[in-house]
Amino acid sequence: MGLEWYIARRVAWAFVVTFIIISVTWGLLAASPNPQVSNAVRSAAMNGDDPAEAREIQKKRLGLDEPLTKRYVDYMVSVYTLNWGWSQTRSQPVTEAVMNGLYYTVQYSIPWTILVILISPLIGIYSAANQYSWKDHAATGFAFFGYAIPNFFFGIILLLIFGLQLGWIPITYNTDVGVFSLANARQLAIPIFVLVTGSIGGTMRVARNESAEFINADFVKTALAKGVSPFRIYARHIMRPTMVPLSTTVVGQLLALFTGASLLVEVVFSIPGLGRLLFRSILAQDTSIVLGTSLFFVFIATIGNLIQDLVYTVLDPRISFSDR
Amino acid sequence: MTTEPLLSVENLHTTFTTDAGTLTAVDGISFEIEEGETMCLVGESGSGKTVASESITRLVQSPPGEVQGTVEFRGRDIGEMDDTELREIRGGDVAHIFQNPQDALNHCYTVGWQIVEAVQSHEPNTGREAARERAVELLTEVGIANAAARLDDYPHEFSGGQKQRVMIAMALVTNPELLIADEPTTALDVTVQAQILKLLDRLQDEYGMGILFVTHDLGVVAQIADSVVVMYAGKVMERGSVLDIFEQPSHPYTRALIECLPGGERSIDGIPGTLPDPVDPPEGCRFAPRCEHAVPECRTDDHPEESPVSGDHLAACIYYKPGYDATVIHGPETDAQANATGGVTND
Repeated sequence: MGLEWYIARRVAWAFVVTFIIISVTWGLLAASPNPQVSNAVRSAAMNGDDPAEAREIQKKRLGLDEPLTKRYVDYMVSVYTLNWGWSQTRSQPVTEAVMNGLYYTVQYSIPWTILVILISPLIGIYSAANQYSWKDHAATGFAFFGYAIPNFFFGIILLLIFGLQLGWIPITYNTDVGVFSLANARQLAIPIFVLVTGSIGGTMRVARNESAEFINADFVKTALAKGVSPFRIYARHIMRPTMVPLSTTVVGQLLALFTGASLLVEVVFSIPGLGRLLFRSILAQDTSIVLGTSLFFVFIATIGNLIQDLVYTVLDPRISFSDR
Repeated sequence: MTTEPLLSVENLHTTFTTDAGTLTAVDGISFEIEEGETMCLVGESGSGKTVASESITRLVQSPPGEVQGTVEFRGRDIGEMDDTELREIRGGDVAHIFQNPQDALNHCYTVGWQIVEAVQSHEPNTGREAARERAVELLTEVGIANAAARLDDYPHEFSGGQKQRVMIAMALVTNPELLIADEPTTALDVTVQAQILKLLDRLQDEYGMGILFVTHDLGVVAQIADSVVVMYAGKVMERGSVLDIFEQPSHPYTRALIECLPGGERSIDGIPGTLPDPVDPPEGCRFAPRCEHAVPECRTDDHPEESPVSGDHLAACIYYKPGYDATVIHGPETDAQANATGGVTND
């Protein structure tokens, strides 16, 4: 049984996981009072109509009078067919709103991910190679600074300096510029910088500590004793085993970004991405959008973990994919 | 015409800077290895023998380590070499194998990849296919069955003994003149140990290598050594041919080690006491605090110089200086021989 079978089974499991999560979400929703029904009941009462009748009419309109099993099946089918409902506040389908937000989120999250994956192992290994020297302390200090300072605050400060004082970057986000234009790069540079410094701290420290362990490993001594150059020792013998635990951290960071970190950064830099969409929908109590974006995060988390598992087996051959 | 030794180590010092102070792991040892000779560096754990073996090609991490003294390979001073020359001699003329084969190979790469890397580090012009063919030859030579098929296996798919065979194959890539083997059989069980020793013996004949064999196991020493250097706390205690050491062990420490062999007087209890603090070693003889023959003069001044027992057989012990009676240690000659040979054949 090979890698293909393992991937097939992992994908099937990922499907089961989303299925369970969505079922639980549906259960919670079905058990809680529907705001649209309570609104109808309240306005009926205020207009002097029969609240009980209004409740029945609204329930029928929303399909809530159907048996639970049918409602459950309908809901699950519509989730998997990407029919995620209608947003009242935005007057557009939820999937469309999510796709709109995703379009802007992806523009900074892809460069962010690539930069973190490239930079943090390099700084981490550089730090470990110069352990306890001023270079190590400088790299660690930089990492901790980015880790410690809240992204939104750092974003505001940089916006003040580079946007207001120096005028190098636009203060407001312009959605009209092309994705690969210079103007877009300019307006995204600071948000990406803020996010990279914010997440590099954690991954860089993991890279540093893991590689510090491997620098003293027997196999590194073997490589040295057989005449391998120091650069190659770092690039091949230390980098590769370090990437195994690091990949976990990077995936974790990516998920945290999609959910938490990007939200405030998008608000600060007025980027109309997923984070800001979720933020505004919560304020406006637009349940279907909140649910839709949450569903999207569920899919991202599942896919992220799936990719992480697959990367693991490629990076560390000792992890067997056929036994699991 | 006197022939130049293959390796000549003179007054080697290796120190490590630690928070507790400067730790002296190797404190001024000297030895020579001739072409094709097997020299055993013997001592208990912590005596500095591994550090000494790794100081030769400067494998000791620096900082915190610092190596001083002269190490000459075929008359070339290794201490004077720049990084490129060091890389050439490491795994080129002087190859290493290590104590723990479980961790000595990188678990992320296939065995073939790692041997090819060794080949290409020294012969950059060798193509990948040619290097792989060489790897198959070497693996077959060290006794890996079906080597061509196993080339793309990962280290965890090999047993401990097989991994050590792979390490040996990797060391042979450049036909080294000197193989430094640091306790290569310690982590292996006895039957595998015997196979590996036999393999090394055959390869030594085939390749004409000198071997520096670091071990704490006197049974192994008796099997393979031509000459022996006994180390304790960073100092040389005794040196001589393998016959000298086993038939007339002269330093009290060597005698105690031999008595620790199975069937010997100390096979259960060992040597009382522990190694001295390498940051702050005692005055006088390093072994004096644990020595049953120690006299007050042993605890003053420096560690005693090596005095001749007979010919090239030297012992760093006050009893072998002029004016002392060495029979206090080894008793009447015949008695000592009977003790020593008895200890060895039992093993």
